Amino acid sequence: MDNQVQVVEPAVSEIEHLRILIADDNDSDRLILQTIVRKEGHTVYTAKDGQEAIDIFREQSPDIVLLDALMPNVDGFEAARTIKQLAGDNLVPIIFLTSLRDATSLADCLAAGGLDFLSKPYNRIILQAKIKAFASMRRLHETVQKQRDEISLHNDRLIHEQEVAKQVFDNIAHPGCIDAPNIKYLLSPMAVFNGDLVLASRKPSGGMFVFLGDFTGHGLPAAIGAMPVSEIFYGMAQKGFSLQDILREINKKLKRILPVGVFCCASMVDLSFRKHSAEVWVGGIPDVLVYRSKTHQLENLRSSHLPLGVVDSDRFNTDSTIIQLEKGDRIMLWSDGIIEACNDEGEMFGEDRVREVILGTPDADNIFSNLETAVERHTGRDEQDDDYTMVEVTMVGEDEMGDYFGVGGKSYMAGGPKDWSMTYELRPLTLKEFNPLPLITHLLMEVPGLRPHSGKIYTILSELYSNALEHGVLDLHSELKASADGFARYYAERTQKLTALDEGCVRFHIDHHPVEDGGVLTIVVEDTGPGFDYQTKEENSHRTEGYSGRGIPLINTMCRSVRYLGKGNQVEVVFDWHVDV
Amino acid sequence: MSNPEDHLDIGALQDLKEIMEGEFETLVNTFISDSRNKVEELGHILQVRDADALRKVAHSLKGSSSNVCAFRLSEFARQLEMLGKEEKLDGAEQILESLREEFSRVSGILTNNL
Repeated sequence: MDNQVQVVEPAVSEIEHLRILIADDNDSDRLILQTIVRKEGHTVYTAKDGQEAIDIFREQSPDIVLLDALMPNVDGFEAARTIKQLAGDNLVPIIFLTSLRDATSLADCLAAGGLDFLSKPYNRIILQAKIKAFASMRRLHETVQKQRDEISLHNDRLIHEQEVAKQVFDNIAHPGCIDAPNIKYLLSPMAVFNGDLVLASRKPSGGMFVFLGDFTGHGLPAAIGAMPVSEIFYGMAQKGFSLQDILREINKKLKRILPVGVFCCASMVDLSFRKHSAEVWVGGIPDVLVYRSKTHQLENLRSSHLPLGVVDSDRFNTDSTIIQLEKGDRIMLWSDGIIEACNDEGEMFGEDRVREVILGTPDADNIFSNLETAVERHTGRDEQDDDYTMVEVTMVGEDEMGDYFGVGGKSYMAGGPKDWSMTYELRPLTLKEFNPLPLITHLLMEVPGLRPHSGKIYTILSELYSNALEHGVLDLHSELKASADGFARYYAERTQKLTALDEGCVRFHIDHHPVEDGGVLTIVVEDTGPGFDYQTKEENSHRTEGYSGRGIPLINTMCRSVRYLGKGNQVEVVFDWHVDV
Repeated sequence: MSNPEDHLDIGALQDLKEIMEGEFETLVNTFISDSRNKVEELGHILQVRDADALRKVAHSLKGSSSNVCAFRLSEFARQLEMLGKEEKLDGAEQILESLREEFSRVSGILTNNL
């Protein structure tokens, strides 16, 4: 017997020191148990009844409780229940000391929170084994609890970080003009963490850019890519850059910062209310649909490009499709979320259903809401908890947008440069490679209150600049542009002359001074070209018909005055503006 | 009836003595005085015919006597506990008498074993 005991007994160093509460009303039993447990190297607290056991537990919070079932005052069952309550989340193994044998009594012990029994007469080896087993169970529970707490802490931190990230994101990726009257969109509030992105910006020329992006992946990695995209989008759109310029810049940035395998499927629309046309680029995203309101027909604009952030700048293709639109025509953009929204059987909503819903809607104004309803009905979820994103852009008249874009005019009046002038001279090396219009537009947009007029100003600047460069410095003749053939020849010659250019310059003299509720902007563009006989030309109502575009007559309608000066190599435009246009 | 082996598990008692070391004497004294009180209590309980009290005190005595290896004493206590549980107090007096005798034998053997 002695030998057996020694074999089972672990080395002293392996014994975990525990604090054990023994509650037994029987003095001799308690004495035996206490002696055995103490010899195992544990600290023992003793109690003579249930109430004492509870009191000691409260004071000492021991690791394991050995509890006699039948005790005076408060019995073992009740003490066990109270101790369980006091222990809360912590696991305190309670072992009942009992010579009860009937099933009901044993079940009562378990119901009261006991984990095991120890019957009398006590057996030292069994007691030892049980203490060991419950000590390790307790350790395991502590570990699990600690890990649970850590996980919950991590989770809290993650949620907090997402909230912060979302706030930062919302500040950068403000919705722009997404609430314009001709746009409808569906985007969940946390869409950024699904990798979905919708941006809309007014262009200085009066048009509108709309961008829908869908990043691969979820969570923060997807959201991170969205930030530079929106920053580039808004920054460049407001400065008058083209759809191609913006896409190229976004692609370049994403290619550089995103890891392989993370990219942005996207579609982008450049909508011109004046020309009633749209330029559309689609990369790696479901077909953009064009709805013709008159004929009630749908056209698909298929993705013909890789998503943004996949190929290097030199291989990136910005070829786009230009379509004519009538008032009431709609362009629909979406992420694959709608097409792939599944019902309980795993069946996708699919493009056929999209077409079905659109063509089955008699009043075009209801298309968007009908689509929304149909997808919800298909997935069986009425909450908008899916990550599908869609945008509908409607072609409207420029006058219909006027009110929306004009809103908040006065708020732009504070701060900023109001009274100034500048001269900006562009020499051959610059003329060859640099488009000064975004920079000058940007500078002018710093004038408080002027932004609502940026469309007109951009039109004026670009017309004057191209006249000065092409007809002045390069000495090209616009008569060439009168035929389709000549149009191509004109541009070939332009490229050729520009490449060879080694003298001449274009000078901008810009002057702004404020008046009550507005300002007067004077732009003089001067070139080193030969000039022309503007007296005759003016009678001729300018050489600006046909392929050469709107030209000076259009500018005339926008300004107080347009005057040629000198030998016809200077043109002066005086633009009056008021905040309440 | 005079052999100690008929009343106590001597081998197990020897183990207990080794475990308890210096505490063994305290244990024996505690057990004897504790049990003496209980035996007296049982006599009183039978007079007032309190079945529940009989069950409880006999249960306690059953446990503690088993712990000091007094298996015969524990058996008498168990019989009384059963009677208390079944609320059949007839014949309990006789068993208590046997238990008293057994307790006095056990006390003697334990004291001699110190």
